Amino acid sequence: MKRLWTLMSMVLLMSLVLSACATPVAAPPAPAGETAGGEASASAGEVKDFTTWYQYDENNEDPASDERVGNQYLRDTIPAFNEAFAGKWNWVNQPKAWDRMAAELVAAVQAGGDVPDLFEMGSGQVTQFYRNGTMQDVKEWASAQPWFADLDPSAIAACTGPDGGLYCVPVAERPHLVYVWKDRFPEGFPTTPDEMLAEGERLKGEDLYAMTFFGSTDFDGEGATRGVWMTISSFGGTYDDGAGNMLLNTPENVAAVEFLRTMVQSGYVPEIAFAGGFQEENAFKDASAGAFPTGLFGYRYVNPLTAPNGNEYTKGNEEDMLDAITAGDVILSTFVAPEGQTPGCEVAVAGFGIPVGATNPEAAFDYINWIMSPEQNVTWVLTAGGGYPALLTTREMDAFQTPFYQQAGKVLSASACRPWAGSMERPQEAQPLIMDAVYKLIKEDPTADIATTLQAAQDEYNAGN
Amino acid sequence: MLPFWLILPTVAVLFTIQVYPALYTVWLSLQTREPQGWRFVGMDNFRRLSGMGVFGESIGHTIVFLVGYVSLTLVIGFFIALLLNRKLRFSGLYVTLLFIPWIIADIIVGIVFRLLVMPDYGLLSGILQNPALFPPNGLSVLTAVPPASWVGNFPFPPAPAMVYLIMAASWRALPFITLLLLAAMQTVPTEVVESSRIDGANGWQIVRRIMIPLMLPTLVVAIFSLTLSGMNGVGMVFSLTGGGPGSSTEVLSYMLYTLGWRQLEFGRAAALALLIAAVNWILIFATLRVTRVEERNN
Repeated sequence: MKRLWTLMSMVLLMSLVLSACATPVAAPPAPAGETAGGEASASAGEVKDFTTWYQYDENNEDPASDERVGNQYLRDTIPAFNEAFAGKWNWVNQPKAWDRMAAELVAAVQAGGDVPDLFEMGSGQVTQFYRNGTMQDVKEWASAQPWFADLDPSAIAACTGPDGGLYCVPVAERPHLVYVWKDRFPEGFPTTPDEMLAEGERLKGEDLYAMTFFGSTDFDGEGATRGVWMTISSFGGTYDDGAGNMLLNTPENVAAVEFLRTMVQSGYVPEIAFAGGFQEENAFKDASAGAFPTGLFGYRYVNPLTAPNGNEYTKGNEEDMLDAITAGDVILSTFVAPEGQTPGCEVAVAGFGIPVGATNPEAAFDYINWIMSPEQNVTWVLTAGGGYPALLTTREMDAFQTPFYQQAGKVLSASACRPWAGSMERPQEAQPLIMDAVYKLIKEDPTADIATTLQAAQDEYNAGN
Repeated sequence: MLPFWLILPTVAVLFTIQVYPALYTVWLSLQTREPQGWRFVGMDNFRRLSGMGVFGESIGHTIVFLVGYVSLTLVIGFFIALLLNRKLRFSGLYVTLLFIPWIIADIIVGIVFRLLVMPDYGLLSGILQNPALFPPNGLSVLTAVPPASWVGNFPFPPAPAMVYLIMAASWRALPFITLLLLAAMQTVPTEVVESSRIDGANGWQIVRRIMIPLMLPTLVVAIFSLTLSGMNGVGMVFSLTGGGPGSSTEVLSYMLYTLGWRQLEFGRAAALALLIAAVNWILIFATLRVTRVEERNN
């Protein structure tokens, strides 16, 4: 009897522990409009915390921090928001590492842990969050807001999940283009692959490199979304078949990889391009590489700069690149493309998502409406977001008529930018597969058959469909 | 009843932080995530894991890393322990200095070692990338491609980045292993060593015939402790090589990290975690068995 009692106590205790630790059944992503209207907002006089997860940290005042621009933005903006919503919301930001914040959020939502009211996200995460039931569908709420009709339709499409729900509110569009040291290409930046190879040979003779790019497999194949995708798409290639399958083994892709392989094996690309950790930027900063295909928002990170003519841009912030562009040392360009092809590039959207389980979604709605006001919108796009405003009227404002944005506008109108993942529903799995294959072909084994290697990566991904 | 209540807190803590997560991992390894929630997929995660090209590569890299890391650390640790075992002046100071790497987080060690050899910009890159010293093109440790394999698909000889990773990991593990071996060395009776010396044994014979056999239980513990830490450590790979160049330093623990925390494939990550746990269990049982046999022999 005593043993039975002991056993029962143990079972009771274990079940208590288990139920305390158990993962709550994730609620299906409820349309956020219901939450907004259904629950009471902060009652009058009661200030509630509004929690955000940004990759920026307002308490990090290190001028050498990679995220100094965003850090400063938060330092300036948090007091302004708290003043605008005095008595209602108190903005509390929890800084997160950019390459781990998505995983932390998914785990927090699935475990029923603490999640923020608002999450800074990119459109590249929409499918991943949709599959994991992480974000609320804000379509009903967003489409009722006055600014919604002013959003670029392609930005809305980028935030739309496979079920038609809106899983992020777009604020900035981040296309990719090529930053070029003008003096490294006296005849102008090449427009065709053959011209690029010729320039590469010329620059090699001067102990310089034609270009640097994210050539490593670091960050789980992040490179597949950057220079490699720019090359593939400029050759008319693709990563998917439009029906959710990976499609790598195409003549266009093979030609693009062949071009990159020649660039690398001929010594037209510096070794640092393959070191990972965004170290490839160094070769552009000191002008040892003439060109650098990367995101438009890259201007915030690539500094300080030393131009080929000796001009130095040493503020150590986003102004360095903008100053170099204004001075004419750096120009923006499309990537090279074979005859008959339009230069391609990646385009992603930066904005906000509201996680499932957010405590104060009303605060997030207030914040998004605040950010969509003209003044705040400009500031966010120029600093925290980078890129172009998703709001079409904001694009007309003076802040976006600078030499930088004028050049970027011309370049992008001459490019055909599209999201690299296309119809693939597991982009995070596709990314390392693609980059591993491309890396092996262009760097590790220059004799490997390109079509066979691309086909193997394609088959491995499609086996999971 | 008193014994029951006394052990209850410990059992509850163990259950919460060990048994429940373990059972949850088993459950997770049989699920996949869909927008509506979790779906049971049986052994599908294990099947898909074995179909991943990088899985086979990671097993090879893990074996190469473990063999290199354990043997290098043990050999160097043994010789440093031999030196410290002599009655040197300032030996306390040497032991204190020796301990510095052990108190630095492995992720920091990785960053520092990375900065040393960063291509074109690292502190040592001027020496390493000098073609005169390392013909024909110099040595870019972090980006040099692996040499052609001697053994089919098995990654041997390893890439320079793997050798460097082994060196960095050994550097950090050396203090602990050295002190462990030094402690064991100091238990070897000096009379035995002295009498063997009088009988004409040279230094190598003393080490091989007397010290190593008498230190065997400690050596076994050191080997398994190094193997376990090498098998499960991810910080150094994360900060030093990021699994690269290509996938040439992608070991199983790093693959587990990327599957779970980068790709958010929790089901497959759980399946891999179970496989790694199985290897760990085998190592633990082997350690226990060997040490028990030794105890019995003693």
